[in-house]
Amino acid sequence: MLYRMINPPEISWIAILPVLLLSATAMLTMVADLWTDGPDREGLGWIGLVGLMATAIAAVALWNTKLTSFAGAVVVDRYGLFFTLLFCVAAGLTLLMSMSYLEQTDIRTGDYYSLILFSTVGMVVMATAADLIVVFLGLEVMSIAAYALAGIWRSQVRSNEAALKYFLLGAFATGFLLFGIALLYGVAGTTTLTGIAQTASGATAEQRTLLIAGMALMIVGFGFKVAAVPFHAWAPDVYEGAPTSVTALMAVGVKSAAFAAFARIFMHTLAVMSPDWSAVLWVLAVLTMTVGNVTALLQRNIKRMLAYSSIAHAGYLLVGMVAGGELGGSAILFYLLAYTLMTLGAFSVVIALGRRGQPNENLEDYAGAGFRSPFLGMAMSIFMLSLAGIPPFGGFVGKFYIFSAAVKSGYIGLTVIGVMNSLISVYYYVGVLVRMYMTDGGVEITQPSSRPYLFATLVVAVAGTIALGLFPSTLFEVARQSFLALG
Amino acid sequence: MHEAITHTAVAVSYLWLIPALPALGVLVNLSLGALLGKGAVGFIAPGTVAGGFGVALYCLVQILQLPPGSALEQTLWPWISAGNLQVDIAFRVDALSAVMICVVTGVGFLIHIYSVGYMHDDPSYARYFIYLNLFTCAMLILVLADNLPLLFVGWEGVGLCSYLLIGFWFDKEANASAGKKAFVVNRVGDAGFLLGTFLLFWSLGVGTHSLSFQDIAAHAKSIPLDTVTLITLLLFVGATGKSAQLPLYVWLPDAMAGPTPVSALIHAATMVTAGVYMIARLNFLFVLAPATLTVVATIGALTALFAASIGLMQNDIKKVLAYSTVSQLGYMFLGVGVGAFSAGVFHLMTHAFFKGLLFLGSGSVIHGMHGEQDMRRMGGLRTYMPTTYRTFLIGTLAIAGVPGLAGFFSKDLILAHAFSSSPVLWLVGLCAAGMTAFYMFRLVFMTFWGECRADEHTKHHIHESPATMTVPLVLLAVLSIVGGYVGLPEMWAWGNRFDAFLAPVFAAAQGGEHHMEMGLEYALMAASVGVAVGGIALAYVLYVARPELPGQIADQAAGAYDLISNKYYVDELYDAVLVQPALKLSNLLWRVVDVGIVDGIVNGSARVVGASSSFWRRWQTGNVEHYAVSMLFGAVLILVFFAWHSS
Amino acid sequence: MNTGVFVLLATLLVVAALGVVLARSPIRSALSLVVALFFLAVFFLLLDAQLIAALQVIVYAGAIMVLFLFVIMLLNLQEHPAEMARAGLRFLAGTLASLFLLATIYFTNRSGISNAQGMGAIPDGFDSTAQIAERLFTQHLFAFELTSLLLLVAIISAVVLAKKKLA
Repeated sequence: MLYRMINPPEISWIAILPVLLLSATAMLTMVADLWTDGPDREGLGWIGLVGLMATAIAAVALWNTKLTSFAGAVVVDRYGLFFTLLFCVAAGLTLLMSMSYLEQTDIRTGDYYSLILFSTVGMVVMATAADLIVVFLGLEVMSIAAYALAGIWRSQVRSNEAALKYFLLGAFATGFLLFGIALLYGVAGTTTLTGIAQTASGATAEQRTLLIAGMALMIVGFGFKVAAVPFHAWAPDVYEGAPTSVTALMAVGVKSAAFAAFARIFMHTLAVMSPDWSAVLWVLAVLTMTVGNVTALLQRNIKRMLAYSSIAHAGYLLVGMVAGGELGGSAILFYLLAYTLMTLGAFSVVIALGRRGQPNENLEDYAGAGFRSPFLGMAMSIFMLSLAGIPPFGGFVGKFYIFSAAVKSGYIGLTVIGVMNSLISVYYYVGVLVRMYMTDGGVEITQPSSRPYLFATLVVAVAGTIALGLFPSTLFEVARQSFLALG
Repeated sequence: MHEAITHTAVAVSYLWLIPALPALGVLVNLSLGALLGKGAVGFIAPGTVAGGFGVALYCLVQILQLPPGSALEQTLWPWISAGNLQVDIAFRVDALSAVMICVVTGVGFLIHIYSVGYMHDDPSYARYFIYLNLFTCAMLILVLADNLPLLFVGWEGVGLCSYLLIGFWFDKEANASAGKKAFVVNRVGDAGFLLGTFLLFWSLGVGTHSLSFQDIAAHAKSIPLDTVTLITLLLFVGATGKSAQLPLYVWLPDAMAGPTPVSALIHAATMVTAGVYMIARLNFLFVLAPATLTVVATIGALTALFAASIGLMQNDIKKVLAYSTVSQLGYMFLGVGVGAFSAGVFHLMTHAFFKGLLFLGSGSVIHGMHGEQDMRRMGGLRTYMPTTYRTFLIGTLAIAGVPGLAGFFSKDLILAHAFSSSPVLWLVGLCAAGMTAFYMFRLVFMTFWGECRADEHTKHHIHESPATMTVPLVLLAVLSIVGGYVGLPEMWAWGNRFDAFLAPVFAAAQGGEHHMEMGLEYALMAASVGVAVGGIALAYVLYVARPELPGQIADQAAGAYDLISNKYYVDELYDAVLVQPALKLSNLLWRVVDVGIVDGIVNGSARVVGASSSFWRRWQTGNVEHYAVSMLFGAVLILVFFAWHSS
Repeated sequence: MNTGVFVLLATLLVVAALGVVLARSPIRSALSLVVALFFLAVFFLLLDAQLIAALQVIVYAGAIMVLFLFVIMLLNLQEHPAEMARAGLRFLAGTLASLFLLATIYFTNRSGISNAQGMGAIPDGFDSTAQIAERLFTQHLFAFELTSLLLLVAIISAVVLAKKKLA
């Protein structure tokens, strides 16, 4: 016989509908760029927004579907769809703020929009992957686009530096992740999550040893992407150097995607190993919260401060993973949603204060901003208070869920450390309020209402942060159902 | 024992209006304040609070008409639901809340009116009323909340507004830092509050919990003693932050940097009493932990004495009142700590009247003296500002515990309960009472009596305040007199109506009903009156009859004088022990752990910023290596940990 | 696999790999990499994975390394040997890397994988082009398609970062 037919696996197109729609949109923006003239490429942003909207609609339409496809490589479940929607919101707001932000930069390439969308494709793949190889490929799609985005403002030295640092260290971290994946494959003989879960539940002592080694290396890999201490050192430099809108996407999108895969693999696939990994994550959570918050106290640059703040928030999310269970898992999902809105909002304010050739990223530049633009002041206050975990905003409810979960699982000590940390964090978050409302000076501000895209971003973020604080139960129920869809 | 109490709840639909009206004021003034102009802003802000007061009075009438133990309830929507946690946005008015909302809206309304006059020339008029209305809204949420998490919303809200108002005049560096200090110190307490809430949730056991006060009351008895002690201690830490007790009182004196009506409303009459309210609200929990109650009473008594002793030496008129507030809050904690919850709340109410009055009076003085706050440059003001003087004197007599005024009845009730609990606590309270009488009359004599010590220019302009300011003074003065008659001693004819009204709320705490002999009670009363008169007499001797004496005393006891007039160096101590180490740690973490732990290990060099570009580049590449090595370090640690953990 | 052959090859591979890291000139680094990749290919060969071995030589040692060398020569990089990190840092990194290696050896040792007697007979048609193709188009179909997307993103990224600045 000269040839034999390969029987392709069962292919369900609807299982990858969100990925397909997003990839098509990304390629469309790339092609449309050829027909776009002039310095303003807002049209590409609009294409992206429409594509994200379509993806979100597809995700909602698939809400009651649960199926695996491509020989168990991709899974459609509420967990993946929840994150798909989260990424649509994050990418959508990033595009919106970019459409205002790019005016004040030298970034004139239309590839900016396609790279943001490609990065989002990677995130969606990570959240819906049911196979470690697919997780890895999704992570690489997301990261490579992010490396390029970090360095896309090429006339800025610090943007170039950020890209190089992020790339080098990212590649280093990826090595650990791959090593871990290889060890898991070595134990299970398969890279599918179901196969690994089966092996893990019936593992012999020898197999457990290798599983543990694999887990340790994967913790390093994911720890890098979520910026957990001691794998966080890149974050402040890269967040500071990258264009602000890209920083926003990295802080929320990349982190959420890493948590999506991290939580799916550890809290579901390797759930039987939780006595082993939770001890390590306990230590990482404490370190991450403490180093993030304490170091943020002295920062004078708002992007650096928000970088340390995002490190600290990774710590709170790790608390949720340690707590585990239905409550811990749902709390992570809810927290990521709240975190996404308030962090994107905070970065939008950073953008709103900047102007061409004058980024105004020092805390001193915020002096009196609350009086010169009451709307910006109010918005920033809400984001800062929410990040600090003060009611009645989304951040408070998220922390309340996370710490309730930790308490219910008996991690009283971890809860005490967490609450103490959120106490420390108040100091630097409120520092921004002090600047805005209790000092004079600062920079001239372009009123956000004259920049419609940025204004829209801020309105959505403010409304979302408040709504999550006042009416969290519906969304928490969605998060709970999403997390339960894993099991 | 009290008769069996029926707890009935009546569902009503108007409770939301009470906090919503001030919130409406915030929204209108925030969005339209610039367009409307001062007149409209000054009408809308007090108007919404007046509306809230109307609804609050209606609630009070309803409660009085319903059988004892009844409450009005309104559930707005389900809020936090997670597993077996089901918290609603729900309001509840029982006797305790009814008293509180009436005090908050009533005194709040008077202070809003006063502010219309006091703040009239301030450029940030609208901003002031936005903050003030927002505060009122948050405070009302605090006292109306049906559950602990919602109470915490109000708790944080009032903290935020207090902080914004302390730093209201930010052109002075000190004010902004005072605001920040208030917020941060309060957060220390709030961390305790949150931890207590989490621990409570954890220990309530199986079944769905709403953390509403009825839910906690129903399950509290099943919590082990040491757990309930820990929970209540943590909650008390929260109370010491908000209510400025030892050791977290340090923010309140600095908070006087805010406008004086704010000091009256937030830092005397309402917000600072939130800790007392919270303990009274959770009385059924606290009585389960006798050890905690002992701590509460002891801290309260010590704070009363400690703050009063600092008050003896202050020369800033508002600082005296600030320490006086800390001291009076100590009395309230002493009251609830010895299980006399209604006495504590009674003093809370009368204190709101007379301390609100005193602060507003001092504001009137400061207003008339064009911002002068140092009593050494005042004097003789009774001729210039007769209304202010008379009302201020009434407030002073009330706080000093002169018989017949509100403060006498409430303070005496607390001291009587303290005596039956522990004579030592009573003695400490009595000493503090004597000091209170002394420093308050020192204040009156230095400010209103004798010769005016102001410079000629200021003297020329001293004037009585406008009617918007004096009318609230008069009304509060009336309340400071008659407010005490709702809670006369049990042995007298009219009896303690206030206690009877609140009794159903404190049903769980009524076990050890004390019946004091009439003779003993009169003796205690006489002792209180004695120290009050003694304090007043001493102040008269030192500051009116023999004004040269204080200086001589200060010279002879220089050490003690320095110690007290520098407030026992507590601020300096905190700075050296807590603040500086925290900042150093941050610096250390930043420079060593963060910038490169490896760099620190390799050659101990610190970060060098802003070097030449060639050095910059080398440093940058070095950094990436450092980061990579620190990641490798982390990876090794995790592997070693797993090897150790799994072997 | 014969232990003697393994030890010999492994030693050569490690020496070549060290050469990549330690060589001062980029050309030597690149050439050491070629050598290392060749030895890796020999390993695949010894494991009966002929196709992978061939691909390893053709794609990595051949195409990619030639590209590397072109770039190095075009940029004339041999004039600027890479700056070495300070001795202390090198020592620390070396120590940590050794510890990391020791830890992995510890885990693999304890797992008993080093004593395993192999999987038995090699299945029929192992590493045939047909079988690899079948794997790619069945089990790893999605990953295979996703790789094309990854390549696209990588190309765009490279272009974005490398193209001339717009005036």
